[in-house]
Amino acid sequence: MIIQLTDINKTYPGAVPLHVLKDINLGIEKGELCSIMGASGSGKSTLLNILGILDTYDSGEYVLDGTLIRDLSENRAAELRNRLIGFVFQSFNLIGYKNALENVALPLFYRGIGRRKRNAMAMEQLERMGLADRAHHLPGELSGGQKQRVAIARALITQPSIILADEPTGALDSHTSREVMRVFRDLNDEGMTIVIVTHDPKVGDQTNRVIRISDGRIENGDENA
Amino acid sequence: MKLAIFDLDNWREIGATLSRNKTRTFLTAFGIFWGTAMLAMLHGGAVGLAGTMTRNFEGFATNMAAVIPDQTSISYKGFNKGMYWSMTTDDVERTCRMSRAIDLKSPIIGRYGNIAYGSKYTSGNVNGVTSDYWRIQEVKLYAGRVLNESDDRRKAKNVMIGKNVSDELFGSDPSAAIGKFVNVNGMYCLCVGVAGQKADASINGRVDDSAFIPLSTMQLAYNTGNKVDFLIFTAKDGYKPKDVVPDLRRAVCSAHPIHPDDEKAFWVMDVSEMFEMVGNMFTGIDLLALFVGAGTLMAGIIGVGNIMWIIVRERTREIGIRRAIGAKPRDVIVQILSESSVLTVVAGTAGITFAAVVLYVADMITSEPGLSAAGFQLSFTAAVVILVLFLVLGTAAGLIPSLKAMRIKPVEAMREK
Repeated sequence: MIIQLTDINKTYPGAVPLHVLKDINLGIEKGELCSIMGASGSGKSTLLNILGILDTYDSGEYVLDGTLIRDLSENRAAELRNRLIGFVFQSFNLIGYKNALENVALPLFYRGIGRRKRNAMAMEQLERMGLADRAHHLPGELSGGQKQRVAIARALITQPSIILADEPTGALDSHTSREVMRVFRDLNDEGMTIVIVTHDPKVGDQTNRVIRISDGRIENGDENA
Repeated sequence: MKLAIFDLDNWREIGATLSRNKTRTFLTAFGIFWGTAMLAMLHGGAVGLAGTMTRNFEGFATNMAAVIPDQTSISYKGFNKGMYWSMTTDDVERTCRMSRAIDLKSPIIGRYGNIAYGSKYTSGNVNGVTSDYWRIQEVKLYAGRVLNESDDRRKAKNVMIGKNVSDELFGSDPSAAIGKFVNVNGMYCLCVGVAGQKADASINGRVDDSAFIPLSTMQLAYNTGNKVDFLIFTAKDGYKPKDVVPDLRRAVCSAHPIHPDDEKAFWVMDVSEMFEMVGNMFTGIDLLALFVGAGTLMAGIIGVGNIMWIIVRERTREIGIRRAIGAKPRDVIVQILSESSVLTVVAGTAGITFAAVVLYVADMITSEPGLSAAGFQLSFTAAVVILVLFLVLGTAAGLIPSLKAMRIKPVEAMREK
């Protein structure tokens, strides 16, 4: 298992505490392409944030690629995010004043890799995404599909254990969405573990497994398997 | 681990961030520029003003006073008030015996007269002085020597003339005057030296325009007996000229019909008090410069802090993205601090350079031929101190926003629009 969640609970404190994840048990094998689907407010984004070490959980146990994710310092969490996880976001989350090459190379900067080497590695990833000729373009000069492919290249550059994608086609038209999903499938064919959070059934249909979450609980964990 | 400071991309990023909002960056940089420039100019200006004042008194003993006889104001021993009296060399000797505070002394007789050589002549002050005079007021010697104790003891008919007098009588070469007999108000004296004054201030006329002969010779030539016009003296280390005055009063009153309480019988011009007053004034100017400088400095620093708050606010989402892809809290702090530091160093250096140019121009404008420079300048140490002060405070100003940026949770930051 690359991801193993055991009895995960998460409650947001407040005047009325919100128990968003309830006894989540989930295992994801290495090389899986799975989607987490659910209605708005079902807890799927919270689950993704916990999987991405962007948020903490209250109880239970989360093991990512053999590493227990609990009570981590900010530095350790940042290090694990950089080393184990590649993020792809709905709104691309590229840095607007950096060109495609610099955006892709940025995670390597935080790993302490020199400029020449990280730029060469970033160019490799852009070539892989078919965007070598757009390397020196700013995000504002790229189409939605190109931006998302740059974001995927950025997610891949650290050779992570898993890619977590939050509504990766949410801001794209249907044609571009298909393009992006094809990229994910190709990566999965190469052995990359990919978890996509989506509310789009068409996206879910293209994954090998759909994890349905409702009211903070996983309804099923093995659809499309 | 490679340090971000050595990474070209880091510097390009700082440049890109600062140049994205050029007007805002310019205005912030101008605040720092003006702050450093003001601080540097005020500091250099205060040093220059003090230098100008010091220059005016260069060569002058700072613990000097002059005693000038005046009319009496109290009737005493059958003499009406308003009596004129003359100080004598005996008064001076008596004072020296009574006072342990007196160090150098030179009674002076001054007359205005003609100074001639051959068919050339000029007019100026002719002063009879003792050898101590040249230690109380140092002069710039162009040729020969100053009058010495032997000249005074021998009542030598030697004269030391001023540079302008020498120029008038002997041309531009001062050494041409040495060994020549100069007619000083009808008395032929051997010229032994040509001198000028080091500073603006002088005693009884400018040295450059005067002639000096031994006091004893002057008394003999003008038949003044042991009378002198006035006295200049210095106090020993650890004493002030005013410490001499009570003994002087006793010495004078014991030999002249002057009431011991007659404060107006002679007046004392205490140069040391003037120096003290000037010193206090410059301490005040320094404090004012510090106060105004600190104010402008604070304004500049608050500007940096303010701009960093805005930058952090504007870039919350970006910081979240960076955190998500592996930026550690330290990386975020370094990034924000780098930007505030670069802004501070660049604008601060420009401010100091500007101040240095302004001070250089001020120094040129106030320079006078023959006098040393006033010193309107910024020392390298002062420049470095000001720059480091700004850098430290600018960095501190950026620290609070950067700590705020560090505390932003990536997941919350990425939700920011």
